[in-house]
Amino acid sequence: MIEEVTTAQYDALDKKGPMLVEFYSKTCGPCKMLAFVLKDIVKNDPDLRVYTVDFNENEDLKDRCGVKGFPTMLFMKDGAEVSRLEGLKQKPMIVKELEKIKN
Amino acid sequence: MPNFVTYTYEEHIINSQNKKEKAFLAKFEKEAPALNDAHVIVNPYIINPLSALILFKTAKKVTATMTVHGKNNAREDIVKSFGENTSHAIPVIGLYEGICTKVSVSLSSGECKEFCIKGEALPADVCRCRNVMTSHDYFGNDFMFLTPAGKNLPTAYDYKGEIRWMLNINTMFDLKRLKNGNILTGTHRYSRMPYNSTGLFELTLLGKIIKEYRMPGNYHHDQFELSDGNIMALTQDFSTDTVEDMIALLDRNTGKVLKTWDFKDFLPQDQGGSGSQDAHDWFHNNALWVDEVNKSVTISGRHQDAIANFNYETSKLNWIIGDPEGWPADMQKYFFKPVGDLTKFDWQYEQHACVVCPDGDIMAFDNGQYRAKTKDKYIKNKDNFSRGVRYRIDTDKMEIEQVWQFGKEWGQDFFSPYICNVEYYADGHYLIHSGGMATVDGYASDLLGAFLKVADPGVDLLSRTVEEKDGVIQYFLEVEGNNFYRAERLAPYHDQENLVFGEGKILGELDVTPTFDTIPEVEEVMEIIPMFHQISIHEEEDKFIIQGTFERGSLVVFVLEGKEDHGYFINTAASWHLAMCSGAFLEDDERTIKHNISKKGYSGKYDIKIIIDDKKYQTGVSIFC
Repeated sequence: MIEEVTTAQYDALDKKGPMLVEFYSKTCGPCKMLAFVLKDIVKNDPDLRVYTVDFNENEDLKDRCGVKGFPTMLFMKDGAEVSRLEGLKQKPMIVKELEKIKN
Repeated sequence: MPNFVTYTYEEHIINSQNKKEKAFLAKFEKEAPALNDAHVIVNPYIINPLSALILFKTAKKVTATMTVHGKNNAREDIVKSFGENTSHAIPVIGLYEGICTKVSVSLSSGECKEFCIKGEALPADVCRCRNVMTSHDYFGNDFMFLTPAGKNLPTAYDYKGEIRWMLNINTMFDLKRLKNGNILTGTHRYSRMPYNSTGLFELTLLGKIIKEYRMPGNYHHDQFELSDGNIMALTQDFSTDTVEDMIALLDRNTGKVLKTWDFKDFLPQDQGGSGSQDAHDWFHNNALWVDEVNKSVTISGRHQDAIANFNYETSKLNWIIGDPEGWPADMQKYFFKPVGDLTKFDWQYEQHACVVCPDGDIMAFDNGQYRAKTKDKYIKNKDNFSRGVRYRIDTDKMEIEQVWQFGKEWGQDFFSPYICNVEYYADGHYLIHSGGMATVDGYASDLLGAFLKVADPGVDLLSRTVEEKDGVIQYFLEVEGNNFYRAERLAPYHDQENLVFGEGKILGELDVTPTFDTIPEVEEVMEIIPMFHQISIHEEEDKFIIQGTFERGSLVVFVLEGKEDHGYFINTAASWHLAMCSGAFLEDDERTIKHNISKKGYSGKYDIKIIIDDKKYQTGVSIFC
């Protein structure tokens, strides 16, 4: 599933297990493209939790996460960041990172 | 359905030339004209408007001497003799523009004929000589060839500053004469932003393209002919995250890439950065010089302020000329210690066009952009200088001495933040080309010339080329209207074949253009693509270019639908190229994007569609591969 969250909603999330957090901007072409890539990934992996965060409207959260630009994907396990990808990436590279947090 | 998509097909210039040559040679053989009725073909190869070909037959074998008469006096006459034959094809190079140039042909039989040949008109915005200072005693009938750094054209000027040679296609970067007398320069065929072209053209000065050497990683900046005729050219691997950091060795006969060198193998990417460096274009190699005796290549990395030398057999770094400040301790052993008169010594910054002199000295054009390794010491362009410089290096003691420079004393009046070159003729005899000068309101501009428009108030784009001999300026050429990448002084004729008939060849190959795996599932609409986008599709034999204007941040994907679908994600984010060495492919509207797609890997018919945000539009154009 893919769900948009605010800072407050993010803080309230149960972060146990693997999840992908994506910081995006509404005015960013690569972010729009990445949305389709993530949708495609989730279609094949419906249990995957993907949370999207508006970069411009969640300054505190992006600062806390050390996110400098968009799109940025944080691959997290049990609330801790395992790895991150910056910029638009193709599906195989994202799937490879996901494998790291699922195992 | 009405359509606002423009489609054009451009035949490869080599194929166009092949057809034209076949036609005029067939007519020549059929009519077999004598000298009096000779066929005169102006611009026989389509791309050189100041050239002609004179074709005639003689009953007996005779030699021919051709004279392109000077406009002012007989000393300016360009004279060339051709071997004994009954079938004569005389290449005429150096017609004056807009007037009838007197060209005479005299035969060893005593027969002679005078022709009046009018070169084709030149484009209105051709870059004119503004000032020239030299003598015929010094410069003779040579031409100074300037290669473009923008949408201007390769142009050559005689000692009076008259344009005597030009190509009407925007070939780019370096231009060198090969051992066989032909010239080698970058093609005008767009491949990738900011200035990557398909490869290299080998051509005669008449304009006949003998070969195109296509390169999978494209061509940029410079090339070098080896003793066996093969060519080393600057390239990159677009499947990596970096650019302008590789050399390819090309087979001269097949165009195949025989070997590549990746500078990431022997240089750190995150050290020694110049003011223009970014992670993507970390080195920005703009020149190479091959030393086959020492099996080494000297390269010029603008974005590390470094002239580096490596062994081409082992890919081992030998040394680096450059300011060692900021480089890590384990790299310091590669740097030199200045010796001699240190009051005159300066390191080079963001340099171009390294040259290895016969005695091993190293020359370069020291652009001097920023002229420091740290931001707090950067120098403003109006307070800066550019120069030609010659260093003597001792690789045993790792010492360096500056033995010559020209340009520092001119300050901003010779300052070019980018491009430019030097040439070594003999000890004390050099060419120094400051081709990237740009001023705004009389001061050196903070912006590169490629980003300025000469029509804007207060803007001046120019190029200054100097030849100095034994400390005296013997030649000064100032050309207005745009910037010129390099200067190369050449004679219009050489001692080998100045004319080559036969089919030009397209060698080598382009790469498969990387696709994006995911194609957004959006609604395909039966709507006209909004006019704003100005979509155009330009097809060539081996590739096509889709161009359009898109708002920043919009989602754009070019889709090819055929037996399998291919998507090309187009990044509409603002991009600013720090090192625009050729603005040939720049568009006026920064939102205009062009994407080149190689036909390699395609087979069959493909419909071109364009996704713009939440709609997929049909263009009505199909490509057959």
